[in-house]
Formats: sequence, C-alpha cells, structure tokens
Amino acid sequence: MADPTIQAGPGEVPSIAEEDAAFYHQSAVNAAWTGARLALGALTFIFGAFAFSYFYLRSVDSSGRWEGSGYHPPSMVTGTVIMLLVLASAGVHYGVLQRIKAGRKRAWQRGGAITLGLGLAAVGLQITQLATLPFAPGSSGYSSVFTGFYPVFLTSQLAAGVWLESLLARSRFIPEMSFVEQPPTHAEVYRVQRFQSSLSAFSTVWSYLALMSLLFWLLFYVF
Amino acid sequence: MAVEVQPERAEPVSASTKPYFRRMGVHTGLAGAVAGYFLGHWLGNFLSSGYLQNPLSDSNDVPIVLGYALATIGWLLGLGVFNDLFGTMLGRPFPDREAADGAEAGLGKYFRFTLNHKTVGIQYLFGMIGYFLTGGLFAMAIRTELLSPSYHIMGPNQYLMVVGEHGTMMMMMMSSVVLGPFGQYFGPIMIGSKRVAFPRLEALGFWLTPAAFVILLSGILFGGFPTGWTGYEPLATEAKQGMDSFFFAFGLMAVSMTLAGFNMICTVINYRAPGMRWGRLPMFVWSMFSVSFLQVLSAPVLLGACYMALTDRTFQTAFFTNQLGGSSYLYEDLFWFFGHPEVYILALPGFGVISEIVSVFCRKPLFGYRVAAAGMLGVGLLSFFVWQHHLFDSGINPDMRPVFMLTTELISIPTGFIYLVGMGTFWKARIRFSIPMLFALAFYFNFLIGGISGVFLSDVPADVTEHGSFFVMAHFHYTIMGGLIFAFMGGIYYWLPKMLGIKLNETLGKVHFWTMFIFFNSTFLPLFALGLMGMPRRVFEYANNLQTLNDWVSISSYCLGVSMLIFLFNVVMSTLFWRQREAGNPYRARSLEWQVPTPVPPANFERIPVILASPYEYGDPDAPPVADLNPPPGVVSSAYVGASRGEA
Repeated sequence: MADPTIQAGPGEVPSIAEEDAAFYHQSAVNAAWTGARLALGALTFIFGAFAFSYFYLRSVDSSGRWEGSGYHPPSMVTGTVIMLLVLASAGVHYGVLQRIKAGRKRAWQRGGAITLGLGLAAVGLQITQLATLPFAPGSSGYSSVFTGFYPVFLTSQLAAGVWLESLLARSRFIPEMSFVEQPPTHAEVYRVQRFQSSLSAFSTVWSYLALMSLLFWLLFYVF
Repeated sequence: MAVEVQPERAEPVSASTKPYFRRMGVHTGLAGAVAGYFLGHWLGNFLSSGYLQNPLSDSNDVPIVLGYALATIGWLLGLGVFNDLFGTMLGRPFPDREAADGAEAGLGKYFRFTLNHKTVGIQYLFGMIGYFLTGGLFAMAIRTELLSPSYHIMGPNQYLMVVGEHGTMMMMMMSSVVLGPFGQYFGPIMIGSKRVAFPRLEALGFWLTPAAFVILLSGILFGGFPTGWTGYEPLATEAKQGMDSFFFAFGLMAVSMTLAGFNMICTVINYRAPGMRWGRLPMFVWSMFSVSFLQVLSAPVLLGACYMALTDRTFQTAFFTNQLGGSSYLYEDLFWFFGHPEVYILALPGFGVISEIVSVFCRKPLFGYRVAAAGMLGVGLLSFFVWQHHLFDSGINPDMRPVFMLTTELISIPTGFIYLVGMGTFWKARIRFSIPMLFALAFYFNFLIGGISGVFLSDVPADVTEHGSFFVMAHFHYTIMGGLIFAFMGGIYYWLPKMLGIKLNETLGKVHFWTMFIFFNSTFLPLFALGLMGMPRRVFEYANNLQTLNDWVSISSYCLGVSMLIFLFNVVMSTLFWRQREAGNPYRARSLEWQVPTPVPPANFERIPVILASPYEYGDPDAPPVADLNPPPGVVSSAYVGASRGEA
C-alpha cells in the first residue's frame, strides 16, 4: 500500500486538510498496533492473577484441600475439545489472514465466519462444562481456581468475538478490489488500512487467547 | 462485482440540536441503572432461592451483586455508551464526533457520554472534587468520634464503616484525581494532538466512576464493611452484604483505571505532533505516561482479586477460605500487588503537576529533565517489587523480609531524583509566589516528611513496631494528601483559567492555601506522636492520656474542613457569579497548552503544530518558540515522513 502521507502528486504540496487526515490516519493505525500489545499486557496480568492463585494454593495446600478428598476432575475430553476448538479457531484465522493480505476478501470472510463459529462453540461448550462440573465451586482450591478462571476467559473470548463480528460486518462495505489495488480516493485507502490494522490487532489478541487456552489447559488438566 | 460501498463519512458529525432531555444522558442512564438493579436483584433471588447461603457471613449476596452488575450495565446502556458499538456490529464505521461534542454549547454536554477529551477532563474535574469532598465528610465524622476516648456518637461497627468508606473513597476514587481531569484535558494538547487514540474508552473510563461512587456509598445501606480500604480476608468473606459494594466498586474503578491508562499510553506514543520527541515531552506527560503503565498492568490484578472475592461471596468458591483449600494470604498478595503501585499511581501525578508549575514560576529550565523522566520510569518499575513490605507483620517468611526491605529502600532513590529536580530548579531562582507556586512549595515540604517517614517505615524493625498505628496513618496522609491533593489544588489554580476561561479569586485562593497548609500540618503532624504513643488505627476507643492530642487533631481537622469550604466557595462564586475572565497566557508559560486560545478550540489546534523546542527553556532570550502553530502546507507531512524514517 502506498504511503498514506503522500496525498498530492509528485511536486505538489498537500493541503492542510490532507495533511491532517494523513497524520491522524497513520496515528490511528499505529495506535491499533500499540493497543493490541497493551491489551495483551493487561490480559496477561489478569490471567496472571489466576495463574498465581493456582500455584499459590497448590503449593500451600491449605487443610490438605488443594484437590480435597473425593476429588473428581473435570472431564478431560470436554476440556481438551474446548482447547482444541480455540486453537483451531486461531489457526483458521491465521490462515485466512494470509488470504486477505493477498487481496482475497471473500476467502477471509468465510474463514472469519468459521473462526467465529469455532470460538462460539468453544464458549458454549465451556458454559456447558461449568454448569455440569463434578465438584462444587468451593470444594477445594483447585475447584475455586477452575470455576473462577473460566468465566473470565470466556468473557474475554466473547468480547473478542464481538470484535470479529464487527470486522466481518465492516468488511461487507469494502469492495474486494480495494484489497487488491489502491482505491481511487484517500478516504477509501484510509478505510481499508484502518480495517486491516484492526484485523491485525484482532488476530494478535485471538492468537494470544488461544495460547492462554493451551497454557491453562496444561495447568488444569495435565499437571 | 456488486457494489457494497457505504457512503463514506468523510465529514465529521455535526452537533445535535435536540433538547437535552430528548437525548441520552445522565437521566436515561439513571433510569437504566434503577431498572437494571431491580432486574438483577429479582434475577438473583430467582436463581439463588434455596441456594445455600454464604456460611461465613450468613447472607445471600447473589441478588445484590447481580443487582450491581445489571445496574452498571443499565447505566452504561442508558448513557448510550454502546450505541457506536452496536453500529459498528452492523458494519457502520465509528462516527467522528469528537470535535462536534467539544463544540456543543451549553452545560448539557457535561451530563452526556461525550467524546471530546476536554469535556471528559472537565467531567472528571468536578466528579473528583465531589468524590474528594464526600470522602472528607467521612473524615470529619471519624475525627468527631475521636474527640473523646469514652463518649461515643457511633457504635464500633458504625465507626469501622465510616473509616472504610473514607479510606476507600480516597484511595479508590482519588487514583484518577490528576490523570482524570488534567491528564485527559491537557495530555493531548501538551503533545500537540487534536485528539486521543481511543475517545470512547476514555469517556467510558470516566462514566464508570459515578457508578463506582454510588455503589460504594450504597454499602452504607447494608451496614458498610469492616475491612477499611484494603478488604482483607478472611474478615471480608465473613462480613455482611455491605462488603459486596466494596469489591464491586473497586472492581469498577480497576476497569476505569485500566481504560484511562490504556488510552493515555496509546495517545502519547502515537499522537505526538511532529517534532515532539521523547526528550521534549513535558514532565507532566511523562508522569501520566508512567502512571498509565502502572494502571494498565496493576489494576487488572486488583480486578482479579475483587472478582475472586465476589465469587467467594456469591458462587461459593473458596479462593480465600483456608479451611476449604484457599488462603487469605492469597488475597493480601493480589491486593498489594496492585496496592503498592497504587501508592505511586497517586504520588507520581503530583510530581508531574508540580514540575510544570515550578519551572514556570521559577522562570528557569527544569533542572535535570532527563533525571526526572528516568526517575518516574524507575519508580514505576520498582513499585512492582515492593508489595510484600505490607505483609511484614502478617506472617511473611522472615527470610524474605530483607529482600523487600531492600527493594522498598531502593525506590527512595528514583523518588529522590524527582524530588531533587525540584530543589535544583529552585536554586538561585527568582520565585514568583503565586497561588499554584505556594501549593508546589507546600507539596515539597509535606512530601519530605511523608517520604522520610516512609523510608523509616520500610525498615523491618520500625515497620513491625509501628504497624497498624497512627504513625503509619500520618505517613501516608503526608504523602497522599500532603503530596497529591496539594498538587491537585495547585493544578486547579494553575490550569482552571485555561479549562474554563475563568480565574479563581486570588485573595480567597491565598486564604485557602494558608489555612489548608497550616491546618493540614496541624492535623497530621501530631498523628506521628500519637502513633508512637500507641494509638492504634481503626479503633474508636483509646487511652485517656491521648485525649489532648486527639482533640487538637480533631479541631485542626475541622479547620482543614473549613479551608475546603473556602475553596468550594471560591470555585462556586468565581465560576458562576464573579466570572473574572482570563484569556491568553497569564503566567507567560512556554508549554503548548498555553499557546492555544482560551477557551481551547474544539479541535485544540487550527493545524497540527510542529514542535521546535523544549517547553522549559525559560530565561534564555535566544530560545526558539516552543512550536510553530501555523506551519505552511507541506511542512507537517515532510516532518512526519522524515520522522517516520527516523530523521527527526
């Protein structure tokens, strides 16, 4: 994509309005990148609070009740399926992201819908699992961290899902050709670039959530 | 290919002409909140009927917590916070209504979800003054109870409730007292930007604060909470339903802090005008930047802790119940992982405000600019490694104490850097003793006492001896009220003429300053002595021999309250009745916010400015102007393209 700051033709001086628009457009694109990384920082600290709780309570083992007597683990199959759904969702999106970078909007739209579907399936399955756990939430340290963590995680997933849905909706109004070659107006160029920056930011957050899903699956089901 | 292009919104949205009550605002927000509360309460009762009640507190908190949750959602829905989000879910781009919101005439825009950062700054300003005065009223009640060692106007639980409300109101709400009003209003202007990165998140950050305020106060209806501002476990789990208000409100403020910090960081990194290098960034912006990182990284941990406490109280998890596999120390760790950075979230903005004032009224460049900026970042970084000193007396492994004693002492080094920058600026300066400068000088005086007593308390033997006494209370009031609130007041006198175009009355301002300074010290200095004599915190009875000092403190606190009334009177009279206009640059300050007209135009600058020099080059007759506010066409794009290639 051409440098958006260069509005006027060679040798021409851009107007003030063009300069303003280009400057703040580029700032917004950069802010999406910064914001996505910063969001990962904030999410890491909130998930970190749960990871800290996990290790703290496990090592302290208050009253011998990290797992407690008569402990029944949550379903390994369900947990693994949920984690695989999240990973598959992130994997699909990573793949179709390359398609839209190559200008294939419709391929991305189809892949995005699959991504959203897989993500929502994971959320739905997680809710089902939480509603049918074989232990009471406060029966042990493990059960507390498990029942406390997953609602926060699936809320994050749902929020990211809303983001993806809005990207899918926005993409309907951008001509496919705009992803292939530079649109005729600066407004269209900016719109496409804003969309791409938002999509890239979403992809970062979605992949991060998949990584968290894997890490907490390891904590809750494997170790 | 089917054309599916929506008409591009190249033109900004124009201001609405509908009357206030026909648009979404506080009135619809309140309606949503009330409806949401009752719906949530009903839903909670429906879901948890027959539900085993919390065995430790013998109460069922599900209806209250769900009521708070749906009330908050109703409040935000009623305000129209989600309107643009719903629009974008249908494929519409976010409307560009920042400038239109700022240009709107009348007071109605201050009672709506508006996106202009200056409007949000003023909303924060008056919100924070209101929260502060409410917290102050609770302080008056505490001091009234402590007039006598044995004659009581409150019961012990009522006293604890008042102490908890005061402490939480001040520590929780005041975390945004500078970043909210001054950071949101002046941060973008000081970096030469016309806008912020995420205006909706910024505005949402503000509108969560009234919800947190009301929810915190609503705890009184349920008997309050006995834990003070820390919400310690296991007392919190055993407490009655008023405890829910504490955790829910603090959780909301954690979200608010995270959003405000998030927006500030993205704005400072990405929206600086051409030429605004990191080395030219005003010190106030450096302080906002450092504090924002603390907020974004520490407030989510607080949110997690509040959430866990609420699930313990509602869904019967056992994060903090020792007998069921949890641990009350877990809460203490999570809380203080936020709680100690919180101290610097409160302290650093004060240094930022004061650094601006000192340089202007000394007519000297800020001494050791780079040292101060490094000090702020250093304080921010180190503040994540000291939290265990709050647990010296709570069962921490004794072998760990020296480590955290050392880290706590280390943090005094970058703090000292920032402090000495002020001293260096004062050196051989021709100081103008205007009202903001008086507050700045008082800030340094108070913070010295608060800081030195803090270093003293960081030593394990001193901490163990004085833990839970009035000595500790005197220390943190000297740093927070003596530091932050004095800086906030200085900031109000300094920046209000720019924010409102109205100057506060100088005579009343000086009376306010001197009464506040004298009676602040008269109130809090004796508390060191009281603490050393054995006066414990959070206890409404005390030994008879401590009455004289306690009475002195109480009477001084009333006088301190009167000084706040003088301030309030000054604000009300100056802004509503006397209305002495202040335009231009009365202090001949160099920083960018004073170079734009008053009132500040909706878009801040006519054109994107090109920054030419540091804002602190006072006393140098050859210093270039700080910025070219009207660069000819082509300059910004060339500077910007140059900057993007690393040439600037």
